[in-house]
Amino acid sequence: MVDDPDARSGADAAHLEGCTECQGRFEVVSDDARSIATLLAVPDTRVDVGRAFEHVMSERKSQPALGFRLPMLGPTNRPLKLAFVAAVAAAALVVVAFAAGGLFFQPTTVKTVPVTVADMQALSQLADYGTLTWTKEPQFQATTSAADASALAAGLQPPVVANLPDGVSTTVTYGAMSEAVATFTFSADKAAAAAARQGKTLPAMPEGMDGATLTVTVGPAVGEIYGNLNQNPSSASANSINLPQLIVAKSASPTAKSTQVTVQQLEAFILAQPGISKELKAAIGAIGDPSTTLLIPVPVEYATSKPVTVQGVDGVALGDNTGVGSGVVWVKGGNVYVVAGSIKQSDAIDIANNLK
Amino acid sequence: MNLGARRMTAVGSEDDAFEALFTAEYGRVVGIANRVLADPHEAEDVAQEVFIDFHRLHSATAEYAPAWLHRAAAHASLNRLRGARRRQKREAAQALEESDHTLDPQKQLEVSEDRRQVRQALGRLAPRPAAALAMRASGLSYAEVAQALGVGIGQVGTLLRRAEAALRKEVTRGTSN
Repeated sequence: MVDDPDARSGADAAHLEGCTECQGRFEVVSDDARSIATLLAVPDTRVDVGRAFEHVMSERKSQPALGFRLPMLGPTNRPLKLAFVAAVAAAALVVVAFAAGGLFFQPTTVKTVPVTVADMQALSQLADYGTLTWTKEPQFQATTSAADASALAAGLQPPVVANLPDGVSTTVTYGAMSEAVATFTFSADKAAAAAARQGKTLPAMPEGMDGATLTVTVGPAVGEIYGNLNQNPSSASANSINLPQLIVAKSASPTAKSTQVTVQQLEAFILAQPGISKELKAAIGAIGDPSTTLLIPVPVEYATSKPVTVQGVDGVALGDNTGVGSGVVWVKGGNVYVVAGSIKQSDAIDIANNLK
Repeated sequence: MNLGARRMTAVGSEDDAFEALFTAEYGRVVGIANRVLADPHEAEDVAQEVFIDFHRLHSATAEYAPAWLHRAAAHASLNRLRGARRRQKREAAQALEESDHTLDPQKQLEVSEDRRQVRQALGRLAPRPAAALAMRASGLSYAEVAQALGVGIGQVGTLLRRAEAALRKEVTRGTSN
């Protein structure tokens, strides 16, 4: 009513006309509004809408419309993109493998295992050995506020970054993923057909593995992505991952359970796949308690890692201090946390330790 | 019409709708960001990011498009404002830019200091009142502010008055420290 004529209804205006008390209050409020308007005043800006539109059109051409782009990988690094996809498949399968034998898998700590591209290719073939079905499909959504992201992720609060390193954009996109449940059912026929297509001989499937199921629950998860997600990654070298400036994510620890096969049987079957390196076999063999350890496959040709203490628990730091890319992963209080981006490893560790 | 042609038409009309939305709203989106940041260049950066984000996630024909853009502009620019290091850089650049103007140096310093204190105070407000003030100060009507914030139009006046009082208090607190 003070500063918007449209907000004055007839009855209110008539009352104001005849009420000195309200007129006094109206004056005070009007003065406040005027002084704030003055304080927030800025010189007029002239914008070139045409040029801005061209710029936005050229930026958005690399984006899929109405979808959520995976911001980590640009179009210039195809070999690494394939390796990354294989690594994700390998991670899922290695993690899942240790859930076998009726064990209930729920990680409370993280460890790395070194994998080569050949390992990743060999492990990703395992995805052809059965059928994956979603009992509950993950729903991804980007939001402009932490509250919206939390609401989509069953109330999981996005972590808060206490101090941003120099040069990291303060532009934040929040993301949320709902809980998802998937079941992988092993099939001896599918495995044989996949092996035949590739002209390879498979190690014998353990008895009972045909029809065995692995049910994995992941999420819900929330995260923040700092930086312009739409920046053209043309400057990225073919050997570097084009990370957004910073990603901070928190997910409920994944859980998994299985039927029909034992841990030892499944581990032996996975490690007997053609192409698995001795190093990976040795690293997996050295894991203490596989039912409580989240394995992070580290591509040996591209990344280095070291154990670190984050927020009082064991974690894993990846990358280096060059600023090309680094990350920290740890498990605490039933959640998996990830801090990663095109920042120095020391900055990633600092952010991780100060995350609230 | 075959499937390919239909798809082309759909893509074409989506692009047309996006251009129309951009033409109608770009100036207003920049205006909201500029009220918060007091920096036209950075305000344009924010506005362009907001439009790209919008296009990535929504259809330009969506009824809520202007309200989404206004709210996103306010929140994105407030997020930038809260980044302390960015703010310092921006102020240094701004001071440099303004030093070319014909204002007397003492006056320039005062204007720049006032602007800095007001923006700092705005950054300390809760997101909703801060966004309401930025949108209203940039010229959005009560109805538009209500739509952007998802509140009834009858609540906007009260929200703004409380936000104004809170901002005044924050400015006073900032200057007395």
